[in-house]
Amino acid sequence: MDDIRTRLTECFQIVFPDLSDAQIPSASQQTVEGWDSVATITLINVIEEQFGVEMDLDHVAELDTFEKVCAYLQQRCQPA
Amino acid sequence: MKITEALRIVQATVADAPPFKVTVACGFTPLHLRTFLNAHLQLALPHRNVTVTEGLYGDLCGTLERALDGDALAVVIEWPDLDARLDFRNAGKWDRETSSGVVEHANLVLSRIRTALVRMPQERPIALSLPSLPLPPIFPTPGWQWSDTELLLKGTLLHFAAELARDGSVRVISVERLAQDSPWDTRFDLKSDLKAGLPYTVKHAERVAALLAKALVPPAPKKGVISDLDDTLWKGIAGEIGPENVQWDLAGDAQLHGLYQKVLGSLSEHGTLVAVASKNDPAVVAKAFERPDIILRPEQVFPIEAGWNAKSGSVKRILETWNIAADSVIFVDDSPMELAEVAAQHPGIECLLFPKDDPVAALELLKLLRDQCGKDRVSSDDTLRLASIRQGAAFRQQIDDGSAPENFLMQAEAAITFDFGAAAEPRVLELVNKTNQFNLNGRRFTPADWHKESSSDNALVGAVLYEDKFGPLGTIAVVKAHFKAERLLVDTWVMSCRAFSRRIEHQTLRTLFETAGVDEIEFAFEPTAKNGPLQEFFSTFLSETPRAAFRLTRPQFEEHCPSLYHETREMKKAEAHG
Repeated sequence: MDDIRTRLTECFQIVFPDLSDAQIPSASQQTVEGWDSVATITLINVIEEQFGVEMDLDHVAELDTFEKVCAYLQQRCQPA
Repeated sequence: MKITEALRIVQATVADAPPFKVTVACGFTPLHLRTFLNAHLQLALPHRNVTVTEGLYGDLCGTLERALDGDALAVVIEWPDLDARLDFRNAGKWDRETSSGVVEHANLVLSRIRTALVRMPQERPIALSLPSLPLPPIFPTPGWQWSDTELLLKGTLLHFAAELARDGSVRVISVERLAQDSPWDTRFDLKSDLKAGLPYTVKHAERVAALLAKALVPPAPKKGVISDLDDTLWKGIAGEIGPENVQWDLAGDAQLHGLYQKVLGSLSEHGTLVAVASKNDPAVVAKAFERPDIILRPEQVFPIEAGWNAKSGSVKRILETWNIAADSVIFVDDSPMELAEVAAQHPGIECLLFPKDDPVAALELLKLLRDQCGKDRVSSDDTLRLASIRQGAAFRQQIDDGSAPENFLMQAEAAITFDFGAAAEPRVLELVNKTNQFNLNGRRFTPADWHKESSSDNALVGAVLYEDKFGPLGTIAVVKAHFKAERLLVDTWVMSCRAFSRRIEHQTLRTLFETAGVDEIEFAFEPTAKNGPLQEFFSTFLSETPRAAFRLTRPQFEEHCPSLYHETREMKKAEAHG
């Protein structure tokens, strides 16, 4: 689980380079300047590359905080 | 390149580097396309701060009409730009009238795009990508058959692109190369298009961006190809079966060698140097080249190094004759051992195996030679290059044969033209951007930067043309300077290595002093890994090798300047080129 958080933090660093490590866990569309719908798509593509998963565009609008994305990935990456 | 890597490249840009501003004009959301284009251009221009901006969604023509500034322009057309009815996001009907009306509307839009593009400043590179996504199933024929309307639409588009490409002002991305790099079924993301206006898959966006970047900032072409002969230029060992029996045609099951000769001949015609390095009896080689059916004609090849010593020695002599560095050259041989021997002795040379028994690999080799040596425009100097190398060899031969250099130079009937109105000639910038050895500081320019600096009021730009009794060398040097108080400040000076040993550089300096009417010239010199010949030249005046920018006075110059025998002519700005 820690591994997912670490890798997701790296994804956020790539897409939002102005965010400090400390700010990333509490990042949300409400608080991060520049996290708009376009940035969401970039973030999704970076996550797809880093985690080797495909994310459904139908659900990305709900993934509007670091914690929600993290929870989504923890669910997706759980061993079957 | 992945999106993560692209973002890292873009973010690592040095903010205070000189800017390189690019506009991407398209009708869709170019999110990834923009990021990848930025990253690819940043890799091609590591000392610039590349920024890519986009226009308004759905307004390709408006973006073009407003994009009058910047260093480069990437135009990416998709079907909806030509007619909104071709947009999967459009709510309109697909009836009979629609299918017939799209060609007419596309013509109007293409005409508007053409008008906008021809108004762009000439020095700004423009790359154009034609529609690369599938058309919606709007036409009445089944999918395996093209309708006449669809053919007309595609024909209209190709005609439009051909007109723009004709004069070289617009570089059109090859549809075939894109198909090779980005397979048809991995290009289009309908869901992403419908939800976010992003029709390109990430992979397709990356491939289109890579080709656009190459078109906007092309890699420097290789200057020469050195080829082996036996089982490479022709099939068979000439020394064993006789030069009359080596083959390069279909009848002899040797067509791959014939195709290879055709490519070399074509490259030679377009200014790429071609030479031979072969372990062979020179007389046998000469006989083979006398055959009337040979495709690569002997006058297209120089020099021919045939003998029994190591190939690396032959390559060394060829490079000396051409006076170019190994990293500007390709060596082709059918023997991996020979390739390894040459590669070990000449670091940087690109060694390619001639796959004599593998047609697929042979075709790849031919395409690679085109990619590495191809040019989108052939200058008059390209066509003169081989003749001038031969001329240079004859020049050196006479000196080596015992003619005193002084007598020889005196009798060379050399004439130099200083053309102070040629700054906009493509050959001038080409020479500046590819010359390494006699180069004041190694500075390279984008066409926009060159235009800006060379057209300023106090700029003095001279192109130097040379000819003597052996023939013309064409434009072989460029100097760019501007006036600063009582001095002239030279910020760019390059001279082709083909022109060494003729004291052209001395005559250039004298002309600068006289034309500018100054007693002191400042040189924005910077040492580079390759500009030793220029350093050596200046050390004769300064009594030491320069290490940074320096000044040279007229008395210093005259004290050490040898006798000059050239007839000189100056063309002023107004006089030059009408």
